[in-house]
Amino acid sequence: MFASKRLGKELTKLQDKLPPGITLVKADDFRDWLMDIQVMDENPIYKGETYRLKFTFSQSYPIEAPEVVFVRDETHPIPIHPHIYSNGIICLDLLDRQGWSPVHNVESVCVSLQSMLTSNTKNERPPGDEAFVRSNTQRPRDINFVFHDNSV
Amino acid sequence: MPPAGNEFAAEQLKSQGNAHFKNGDYDQAETLYSQAIQKNSKNPLLFTNRANARLKLEKWEGVINDCLASIELMTENMKAYFYLAQAQLAINHPNEALSSALRAYDLCVNSSQQTSNAATISALVTRCKKAKWDIRERERIRRRKGLLPELESLLEIAYKKDVDDLEARLEAGEIGRVEATEEKQQLHTEFEQKRDDLRTAFALSDPEHLEIREVPDYLIDGITFEVMTDPVVTKNGRSYERATIIEHLKRSATDPLTREPLTINELRPNIALKEACTEFMEKNKGWVYDCEDGEEDTVPRWAHLSCGRRDYETS
Repeated sequence: MFASKRLGKELTKLQDKLPPGITLVKADDFRDWLMDIQVMDENPIYKGETYRLKFTFSQSYPIEAPEVVFVRDETHPIPIHPHIYSNGIICLDLLDRQGWSPVHNVESVCVSLQSMLTSNTKNERPPGDEAFVRSNTQRPRDINFVFHDNSV
Repeated sequence: MPPAGNEFAAEQLKSQGNAHFKNGDYDQAETLYSQAIQKNSKNPLLFTNRANARLKLEKWEGVINDCLASIELMTENMKAYFYLAQAQLAINHPNEALSSALRAYDLCVNSSQQTSNAATISALVTRCKKAKWDIRERERIRRRKGLLPELESLLEIAYKKDVDDLEARLEAGEIGRVEATEEKQQLHTEFEQKRDDLRTAFALSDPEHLEIREVPDYLIDGITFEVMTDPVVTKNGRSYERATIIEHLKRSATDPLTREPLTINELRPNIALKEACTEFMEKNKGWVYDCEDGEEDTVPRWAHLSCGRRDYETS
């Protein structure tokens, strides 16, 4: 019930000012938004690329976490990262039901993902990526990730 | 006490009434609740149920009588105060409506099953305050004399005439109730829009009376991004709007910022901040109610013009 009001306010802010490397691509309604992120430093894994994120909000946002995935098209690859599956699903505690907090917002999620990429040095997918991508039919929010590693 | 058997009969009638209510047949529901009340006039729930049906039928006086009867039988009566406030608001008695709504809110947040209703009631409280402010603002403009009040009263006359026409058509059976309600809503929105545009135009020609449209961050709830009306403070000293933090705690009993364990019982009212919020709302007029924004906006009274986003709010 709060979702549309709160998103309206976030949108006004996003249209006004955003941190470097984060752009608002599309927000025509209060259901799905597209955001682009770029890594701003010299990290060779991500340099020169732009990645596209899709946010999907429920009626209970921000009490409930938004669903956030990377989407692929001709100009936007899925970033290589040990916590990002090649179908765009992201394993990040703050997007998980337990890890989410309603004080987060679209901008802070983008910033977190940006820094998750910036600080990564491993040019690899999560273990079991192929099997996961092949077999996964669940929506990201229903997956119970085990956060075995807090160093990345 | 009603004779034995009557209580049972009343219960039967009430269930039938509830079934009709669920199906949207409010007329029939009202009739059945009335029959139930004849069998047992000591059950406060029968009165609140009928009040709710009458609310749907826009029989405001009936709602008010039922609510008062129900409160007489049971004083701690959140539902009755909640319906009462809506009816009082509908007949344009925002002062009474506000005190009823606040009473409902108090009962709600102090009840043991804290509060799936808190957010709804809190929204009603805001609507009452807005109505109160509207009346005050209109009076203020009236007193100022000149062209603006004259134009405003012309708009109002035209609006009232449209509403009367509509009601005549409803009376004559030319249109249905649902359609009439929708059209009335529409007329009201249009009227408010025109009036606000008019006020904006006058405000722009009178820069001395422009106010700075800026809500300080410390009055804003970090979850809804709106000005708080009933702030509560957590262990780490952060404040949130009561209704929204409770929604969060029902799902996850943690502090939103630190993720430390936090329960509803550990929340404390932040009285000083509440007073600051109230004072800010009192001083800053209608635009805060219409579209509370967390940030500065360059031209103050353009506020209502940029509020088109209201269209999206379907929930």
